[in-house]
Parts: sequence; C-alpha cells; structure tokens
Amino acid sequence: MKLLISWVRDFVDVSAPADELAASLALRGFEVASIEPMGVGDAVIDFEVTANRPDCLSVLGLAREIATAYDLPMREPSDRPDARIQLAAVPAGESEHVSVTIDDDELCPRYTAAVAELRDAVSPDWMTRRLQASGIRPISACVDVTNYVLMEMGHPMHAFDLDGLAGRALRIRRARLGERVTTLDGVERKLDQDMLVIADSDRPQAIAGVMGSSTSEVTTATRTVVFESAYFKASSIRRTSKKLGLRSEASFRFERGADINLPVAALQRATALMTEIGAGRVIGPLVDRYPRRQGPRRLRLRRAHLGRLLGMAVPESEVVRILRSLGMSVASTGDGWEVIVPTFRVDVLREIDLVEEVGRHYGFDKLEPAFPAMDVPATPPDPRISRDQLVRRVLTAGGLSEAVTFGFIEAAAAEPFAPEGRVNELVGLSNPLSAKFDTLRPSLLPGLLDAVARNRRHGRRDVGLFEIGSRFTTGAGETGGVALAWTGAAVPNHWSGGSREVDFFDVKGAAEAVCDALAGSARFRPSTRAFLVPGQTAEVVVAGSPVGVVGELTAAVAEQSGAPPQDKVYVAEMDLGLLAAVRTERQEWVQPLPRHPFVVRDASLIVSDALPAEIIRGTIQASGTSGAAPLVGVEFFDRYTGPGVPAGSVSIAVRLTFQAPDRTLTDSDVQQAFDTILAALVREHGARQR
Amino acid sequence: MTVPDLAELNAQIAAFEAELAQVASARDAQSARDRFLGRKNSVIASWMQIVAGAPPEQKKVIGRFANDLKKAIEARWAQFVAEDRFSRPPAPTLDVTLPGRQPRLGHRHPLTLVRDRMEAIFTRMGFSVVEGPEVEDEWHCFDALNMPAEHPARDMQDTLYLATPVRGESGRSDDLRTLLRTHTSAVQIRYMEAHQPPVRIVAPGRVYRRDDLDLTHSPAFGQMEALVVGEGISLAHLKGTLLAFAREMFSESARVRFRPSFFPYTEPSAEIDISCWRCDGRGCQMCKQTGWIELGGCGMVHPAVFEAVGYDAERYTGFAFGIGIERVAILRHQVQDIRLFFENDLRFLEQFPH
Repeated sequence: MKLLISWVRDFVDVSAPADELAASLALRGFEVASIEPMGVGDAVIDFEVTANRPDCLSVLGLAREIATAYDLPMREPSDRPDARIQLAAVPAGESEHVSVTIDDDELCPRYTAAVAELRDAVSPDWMTRRLQASGIRPISACVDVTNYVLMEMGHPMHAFDLDGLAGRALRIRRARLGERVTTLDGVERKLDQDMLVIADSDRPQAIAGVMGSSTSEVTTATRTVVFESAYFKASSIRRTSKKLGLRSEASFRFERGADINLPVAALQRATALMTEIGAGRVIGPLVDRYPRRQGPRRLRLRRAHLGRLLGMAVPESEVVRILRSLGMSVASTGDGWEVIVPTFRVDVLREIDLVEEVGRHYGFDKLEPAFPAMDVPATPPDPRISRDQLVRRVLTAGGLSEAVTFGFIEAAAAEPFAPEGRVNELVGLSNPLSAKFDTLRPSLLPGLLDAVARNRRHGRRDVGLFEIGSRFTTGAGETGGVALAWTGAAVPNHWSGGSREVDFFDVKGAAEAVCDALAGSARFRPSTRAFLVPGQTAEVVVAGSPVGVVGELTAAVAEQSGAPPQDKVYVAEMDLGLLAAVRTERQEWVQPLPRHPFVVRDASLIVSDALPAEIIRGTIQASGTSGAAPLVGVEFFDRYTGPGVPAGSVSIAVRLTFQAPDRTLTDSDVQQAFDTILAALVREHGARQR
Repeated sequence: MTVPDLAELNAQIAAFEAELAQVASARDAQSARDRFLGRKNSVIASWMQIVAGAPPEQKKVIGRFANDLKKAIEARWAQFVAEDRFSRPPAPTLDVTLPGRQPRLGHRHPLTLVRDRMEAIFTRMGFSVVEGPEVEDEWHCFDALNMPAEHPARDMQDTLYLATPVRGESGRSDDLRTLLRTHTSAVQIRYMEAHQPPVRIVAPGRVYRRDDLDLTHSPAFGQMEALVVGEGISLAHLKGTLLAFAREMFSESARVRFRPSFFPYTEPSAEIDISCWRCDGRGCQMCKQTGWIELGGCGMVHPAVFEAVGYDAERYTGFAFGIGIERVAILRHQVQDIRLFFENDLRFLEQFPH
C-alpha cells in the first residue's frame, strides 16, 4: 500500500518526516518496502500490509494507525459542511433508473448503488497526482473517482455504463452453468455456479468483487453510470479469483474482508467527489439492499489477562486511549473493559486480538526480558537425533563428508531407485515447481549421485559423500535413511605412496561401521538391485532383517547422474529406523581382562573359490568351541589365487587365536584344538592345507 | 685361608669378560656388571666382606687383591660402556616439513553445524528436541494452526501437495499424508496432542514451500521452531528466551526487537530482529545500514491452537517462534548464495569444521 503523506494529512495533522513516520509504523506492524520522496516535504511510503489488515489498504486506515501512534485527533469523513473529507448526503430510497435485486444474500450481504449523469470533465491535477503516487493510472474522471475512493477509504467500487445494462437491471446472483463473460482485460472467462455475478436482465455484467465486463465498461461515450458499492463474502471472492486466476485491487480487498458498513459512505464520498471535480451528478436516491443487518462485535478485555499475556502492566489510560484511537468504543467494567469493535476491523475477533492492539501500540520495546521458570524436567530428546549424530560421527571419521540434497527430484532420476522396480510406488507432487522437482525421493542416492557428479565435473577426483534424511514411497511411507556414495581414492595420496582406489569393501566397511554403532553386527548376503552391478551387490542384514544394500553403481545409472562414464562409484543405503529398531541392548559392563596368555596358530588352506568366507568362518567357529583350547579369534589375513593354486580354488590364510580364561594353554591343548578345526574344514569343505 | 693370587685375579677378570661377551642387551650388561661390582652380593662385595673378616696378617694382602680386582673390573666396565655396543645406529635426518599422514576426516554439513549449535543452546535452556514427519496432513499443518480451508494465510506459504497420499507412521488407514509440511509447527501440534502442559520444545527439521530456487530462496529449507506452554507464560518470557539465544548464538551484546506482524497461529505476532552483531547496531553492510537483522517470526500461541489440541486456553498461555536454519547459517558464515548449501560442492563443505 503506497501512502502519499500529504494525502494522509487530510485525516491527521502529522508533522513527522517520512522516514520517522515509516520507522514508527514499522514498529506497529506495517513493514516498509520503500520510501520515495515526492517533491518538497512529501513522500510515498510503500507499506507491506499483512493479510489480516485489509482496513489499512487505504489512506483512512493508515491514518488511524498514525493518529494512534502519535496521539493525534482523527478527522473522519463527514457530510458536515465544514468537513475536510466531504461525504454527500444522498438520501436512500428506490431509483427510477435502475432496479437492484440480491438473489443470493449469503454471498452478497449488502449491495448499494447510485445512478449518476456524467459531464465532460478531466480529473484535476491533485487527484491524478494522488492516484499516480498510489500506483494507479488515471483513466477518466468517473473511473478516477472510484479509484480515488478505493485508495482513500479502502472500499472497492465499480461503475457500469447504464446503457450497457439490459433491462436497466442489476441482479446479484450466482453464475449459470456455461455462462461466459469478457472481463475488462479483454479475456473471455468461463463461469460456474459457485461464482457470484452482477447480471443485467440477460447476462453477467461483472464477476462480483473481481472485475467488470467489457459490455458495460465506462467509456468516453458513456453518459450515465451506475455506481456499485457492495459487500461480498470474502471466501467466495477468494475462491472465484483463485479459480479464474484473476486478481484485481477489488478482489485483493474483498477476499481479505471489506467493511459491511462502508458501502454507503464510499458512495457518498464518490458523489461528493463527482460534484467537486465537475464530473457529474447523482440522480435519484441511493439504493441500499442490506437484508440482514449485522451489529458490531462486543468483546471483553480483562485487565489481568492483558498483563499476564504481555508480561508487563500497561497503564489503564493507555489501554483506553489506544483502543479508542483505533476506532473502538471502550467502557470500563470491574475487571477490565467492554469494547465495541468497528466493522472495519475484520481481524479483531476475540480478546486476544485486543491484547495485540494494546501491546503493539503501547510498544513491545517496553517489554522487560524475562525467562520462563522451569517446574518440570525436560522430556528426553527424540532418540532419532542422537542416532543421526552417531551415524554422522562414524561416517565423517571414515572420511566421508555430509551432503544435504532436496527431498524432491525428477521422476527419471527416481525411477531406477523405486523399491524393487515398482515405479507406481513413487510419490509424485501434484503441483511441482518444475519437472526437475516433481517426485519425492524414494532413496537418498539420486541426490547424492547428483552431488558426486557435480564435484567430478569440477575436477574433483576423490568424492565421498553421505546424507541422512527422509525417503518416501507409497509402500513404506516416510522412512529415515542414510546413504553414501564414494568414488576415487579410498586413502588420500601421500608422498610416501600407498594410495588405493575405493572398492566394494570400503563401502561395505562404512556400512558395517554404521550397523555396528547402531545395532550390533551386520551380515551381508549376495543380492541384486537394478541400479547395482551384479556380483558386486550385497544386502545388509541385521538381526535377520534386511536393512539396506551396498554395491557398485551400474555404468548406466552412473552416467545418467552425469558422472564421467569411466568412474566407479560405490554406494550404500540403509534404513535408520529399521537399524535402530533391531538395536540390541548393549552390555555396558566391561569384561575382565584375560589373565592367561593367548596362543596364535596360522593355517593356510586351499578351498573352492565359490566358498563364501562367512561359511568357512562358521565352520571354524563351530568346531573351535568344542576343542581343548577355547578359540577366541578368527582372522582372514590373506587371500591368494595364482601359481601354485589350482584353478577354481583359492588359498586363504586364517589366523586362529586360542585363549582360556582360567589357565595357561599347553602346546598339546592348542594342537588338539587346531587339529579338530582343520579336520572339520577338510570334512566339510574339502579344504587342503597348503 | 689361601691368599688369592694373580691367577685368581685373572680368572675373575676372564669370568667377567665371558659374561660381557654373552650379554644381548644393555640391561643384561648392567646386571653382569652388578654381579661383579654391585654393593650387595657381588663378587667385589664378597671379597670386601672377606677382607673385613680376615686375620690381621692376611688383611693387607687380601685387601690389595680385592682392590686390584675392583679396579680391573671397573676399568673393563668403563671400556665396555665406552664401546656403546647397544645404542641404535644414528638416525637419518628427516625432512620434518613434509606432509604427515593425516587420517581423512569428513566434514559435517554447515546446516548440521548450525542446527547442532542451536539445539545445544536450547537444550541447555531446558528445551527438549522433538522431530516429526516431513509429509503431513492438512490438520497438523494448517487447520489446527488456526488456518482453516479458505484461509488466505494458506496462500502465504504456498504448499506442495502429493499426487498420491502416503500412509503415516501410525499405519492407520485414516492417517494419510497429503502435503509436504510448510513449517515445523506441525510437529508442535503432534507434540501437544500427545503431551499435557507444561511444554518446552524445539522442533528442527526440513520444510517445503513452493518457491523457486534462486540466490535467496529455496523450495526446501531447515527450520527450528520453539514452543513453550505453561501457566503464566508471557511475551516478556518470549523476549527473554530469544535474547538468551541471540547472546549465545551471535553476540554477547545482542539486543532483541519485536516488530508486530501477522501469523494465524500466534497473537500477538511479531518479527524477530536482532541487533547487528557486526556493527553492534550502528549500521553496516550486513544489516543494510539498519542496525538490525531479521531472524524469524514469533508470537504468543493463538488460543484457537490450544483449543484445537484440547488445551485449556484460559489456563495456559504459550509462546512460539521459528528461525530458519539456512538464515542463521547465511548470517554466521556470510554465505552469499543459498544454493551453495544444496550443491554439496566439497570446495564449500570443506571450509567447515569436521
């Protein structure tokens, strides 16, 4: 709302310069977008008026705020001859020139109209200057008058060319199915039965509260006009405007809430202005259709409640002064005040709204900061927070950096990651910003891969990223996960050598570390995923349930993400909710340290290369428990294929550690246990000692 | 007794020599020395005892022998020590300015750093940290927050809707989520539905708005909303809480200013301004010469919100505020482009601590 300071001085004798005025209102709820000087001693302040204050989309409304802020008297518009803002005392009655009928008084509770004969006139400079300063283009004397009233009093009016109205009738009704109207902007609009129109005896001549029709548009040829000054139901205007995608100064105000008591005054003001600038005169009485009168709202404001909410005591005289200055009637009661709220304050609905009015004008700067006392202990924090922090610690310690990507991605990027290829489980957005952001991510990987590709394009060779966040599918709903993507060197380059490229076992190790931190140990079993290389894919299993996957990204998916095609990208993703759910209670007390020495034996075995290490480990552990010396550790420390090892076989080296809690093991104990294990390996897997 | 002679002296020296020849470490050598030269139970010590107990006529001769033996062994020991058989070969000189082998540590995202820091501050003030879902329903995101259907405020935060509803974590067939939450106030509703006052929580999380991505806007961003409900909670408490936060987060001399504003779920409502910590409110480039930095929105919880969750709006009052995590990160780290947070360029991420 652009406010010309010289205009507001019609209502209130404020002498403060523009920047001070702007700063003062900014601290009362009216944010200032800009201040533009206008000649000497004048300026336009552009206020951002919040959606709850349609009354301040006018010079009059802001004048009240200024009068309250500076404790100055207000000049209200009046039909008294000495009034600064003149209203013409037009009598109410029936017009012989136009008939007015409200068919739907729910959507149109009040409709006033007056007929005026136009004379050739141009708007005076002071009027066009004020309109232009307010951001409104002068059009013709008649239209300028309605716009002037709009800006000054905040009430939208419309002028119809009486000769354009069939039957010289105005009927306020819902549109009929299939009715069309060409609005003033030249666009033909299709109407429906939820929309309120102002029709003549044949067809709609205006979409109520939104825009008039070109068939009754006021032009230079127009001789007689009908001024409309009405009150329409806010939600109806809002729906219509939204449905048509058509907004206007009028709809902007009506959908926020107009003043049901303003239509007559607005017409009277327009009439006075028509006379003042010689643009015409009103003929006949003013027609006022107001079938169900609405009384003003009465609210109670309790002194104790006011003080309790604000946390400060406002002097009673200030409470009364502020509310009265804002246009309210205030009467003292035993515990506070009874307040009658004027109908232009559509936002003041209950006691709390009065507390706000008093608070913001008394000044929030007078609040003494206090700290709320604690009388109960805080509830324990959400376990997901410490869970995520732990995962973050584990992965950053592993050399990966944290990424944050969007929750929505493009469908093509999401599809390869749909659960088991079921793209119908992807969750789309019905009103996406663009096709790039039209699908909720089913996995954190597409976003991470995009980030990896971006880093690679910038010439970064080694990229290791992880993200913790929500994933969405229709099947599982919203689930929390962690994903990582890793390419390039696993170990940073060093002048002493020893760099190594990332491989499957790096991401597996990272996944193991996360599982270990959250849930205890994980198992990995061969698996397949459409986006992962076959034979390089494992499902992560904790406590018997699959919780995620690790593997190497297929070239096709890697390339789709925009990474260089020769890149080998290893990824993992796990469901943090599932991991936390299978969490086994960790034993917190420590084990006593062993008091007897351990003994180590290495075995070099040749076994089939198709035999999984986990099976060998299982056999060793099973046979190791029954031996003479307890087996406490199994470590695979070498794996070799090549000369000396038959094709289809592999040589593996296993280090076995034996230790008893209660005695020092003898050589024969250990040998016996070792032999038992070897015998089991020979028996079950045909292993040969090398 | 037999008086020791030269042969005995040579035999003893040879014995010491033999022991030295066998030692494998400096410690072995020391114990060999101690067996001959130690103060107690050593070869020399026992000869000294013999001297003390010898008949007067032999004392002189044996004494001289013991003395000679001691000197000879000491001389041999000194020689052995001088040989320095067990010290390590001289170490080569390293170029100590060459880079060390650093463990590669990843970096936490700056938005995480800011969020963690904010959580830490509020936790110390007695707040609990609460999380909630990103896909929400109309009730928790709007209706319960005094934004019924048709409310113009629903436009203020243009909402992204799901094409297909998603089931909520309760798994109930009527728990269907239809939109991406526009604020974490939805979490506050869920918390109040499950807990009775007093309430003192912060709800951090990602929220979504139908905003185009540009220098200063993002369709997804992080937010931390606080809610305090109890008997006698006032606007002054809100100011004090924000002041304590601002002083720890930004500057010890920070001041807080409320500019009245409008949010459907709070009344009175205000924008939170913090005095610019760079110029201490005098006006600089960061605060665009205003002396103040806008941080977020706040207010006293609207009684309609309490009514929606079944709290007694006469008995309880409360305050709420919301602060953008990107906003704080942008201010703290002087990030010029919000998109940097979501591009995950390692050249950006690595500028932040581990």
